[in-house]
Amino acid sequence: MSGTELFERRVVISGVGQSAIGRVVDRSGFQLTLDAILAAVADAGLSLDDIDGLAMFPGGGAANLPGYANGNLYEVQDALRITTTWRQGIVEGMSLPFYGAAMAVATGQARHAVVWRTVKEGSAARAAGGRAAYGSLKAAAEGPLAWLLPVGMLSPVCQVAPYATRYMHEYGVSRSQLAWIPVTQRAHAALNPDAVYTKPLTVSDYLDARMISSPICLYDCDVPADGATAIVVSAVETAPDLRSPVRIEAMAGVVDGRPSWEQWEDMGRVGFATAAAMWARTSLRPADVDVAELYDGFTIECVWWLEAMGFCGVGEAGAFVEGGTRIGLGGSLPLNTWGGQLSGGRLHAGFGHTAEAVRQLRGEAGDRQVAGASVAAVTNVGGYEAGAALLTRF
Amino acid sequence: MDATVGIPPAVTEETAAFWAAAGEGRLIAERCASCRAESFPPRGICRLCRGRVTESVSIVGPGSVYSYTVNYQRWLPSLDVPYALVLVEFADHPGVRVVGRLRGCPVSDVDIGMTVEVGFEPGPGGFAIPSFTAVLP
Repeated sequence: MSGTELFERRVVISGVGQSAIGRVVDRSGFQLTLDAILAAVADAGLSLDDIDGLAMFPGGGAANLPGYANGNLYEVQDALRITTTWRQGIVEGMSLPFYGAAMAVATGQARHAVVWRTVKEGSAARAAGGRAAYGSLKAAAEGPLAWLLPVGMLSPVCQVAPYATRYMHEYGVSRSQLAWIPVTQRAHAALNPDAVYTKPLTVSDYLDARMISSPICLYDCDVPADGATAIVVSAVETAPDLRSPVRIEAMAGVVDGRPSWEQWEDMGRVGFATAAAMWARTSLRPADVDVAELYDGFTIECVWWLEAMGFCGVGEAGAFVEGGTRIGLGGSLPLNTWGGQLSGGRLHAGFGHTAEAVRQLRGEAGDRQVAGASVAAVTNVGGYEAGAALLTRF
Repeated sequence: MDATVGIPPAVTEETAAFWAAAGEGRLIAERCASCRAESFPPRGICRLCRGRVTESVSIVGPGSVYSYTVNYQRWLPSLDVPYALVLVEFADHPGVRVVGRLRGCPVSDVDIGMTVEVGFEPGPGGFAIPSFTAVLP
């Protein structure tokens, strides 16, 4: 496949911006959204009047959890006093934060598009005295949730857990191996001033933690947070106007098998088709990746991405992460250098991962900078929805 | 163990027959009138040949636990925990996997490959929910 045929090569990620991030940030989701967008546009070296595309995730109607969906795209556009030639608010198809914006810009529907994700799940959990049941905002469980919620599969934790059980059974992977993902990411979070949890975490802390839905314990779950992340995608020909653009080398999002929490043949294979499609669009190989920002709504999702992306073999992720050396900052594959969602905060859908990848490639990651990072992997997964990309220095 | 605290299903054209049968203690899936393949959940289309004429087929079991989790978290006030949730497959019914609760053994005994019988118990909103029974060796 020739590079000039790939639509993602016609665009760059030009800016990333984030609001204050925390367990609780005492400001409205709308204000956090504005903070992130203004920061991202400034980071790109652009002005708001350059922005002609807006996209938010999720769009309306995705309120399955308190604090999950925030705001309205038109209200943001009105507040910013801009004109747009492209807009998008989606739920399905969110393989990667910048996927839709990249398509819009590559096809000339917009020149500079902003996509954002705002979460207030930390505040919502605090107000409710704990994390809510999935779908509890509705009186009855609709669609695919009708098979899950009535029997007591009341959270994504319970939904993903049987696949973690199965994976650990098939490959003999232990909790004391998997512990090294949250433990190592916590060490990275300690170097990130914006991370939610920075206190050191040990393997024994992990093994002693309370079980949420076996085999998933407290530290296997991402931390509900408040915060907004915005990403600017720009046409590659505008690069001379941009402060520090980053290339999208390749990206793909494949949903194969049965896209269902309970019917999936083997959720441990999530991401494999996506990763294969992504690697087919580049001559780079897994060994070329300097830093990996892999979606970690749960520890086990990170495990599956390590294998799907070919960073290790199938069933080998436990051994790969054990001891934390390979996935630490000095290792061959520094993993979730901002702390990931497990410690950095559940910014969700790969937004936090993308922001960190951009910072790493620019050399702007502060104390957690991976020296000379020139290729970053970014992945996202939501059950069966999956996306993977390689970002590179411009 | 009380399983009635929770969120009831929204019943649709596609799922009304399933929940009605559940209330009678029967587990049903859809069978294609043309190719005889079985599909679950019911959607009024055969997942194999895409035929639109389907009939119901009873799944009598026993089934086998594909995988499981034991939920400890009280996601709703008054939720009775812990309880085991199982994904169950049936040797005679390829294409049918059903998620439900597990009864008849301590939660610590649930295991992959465990044999279970089909069953139901009272769930949220007056619905009968799938609740398998462990077959102890």
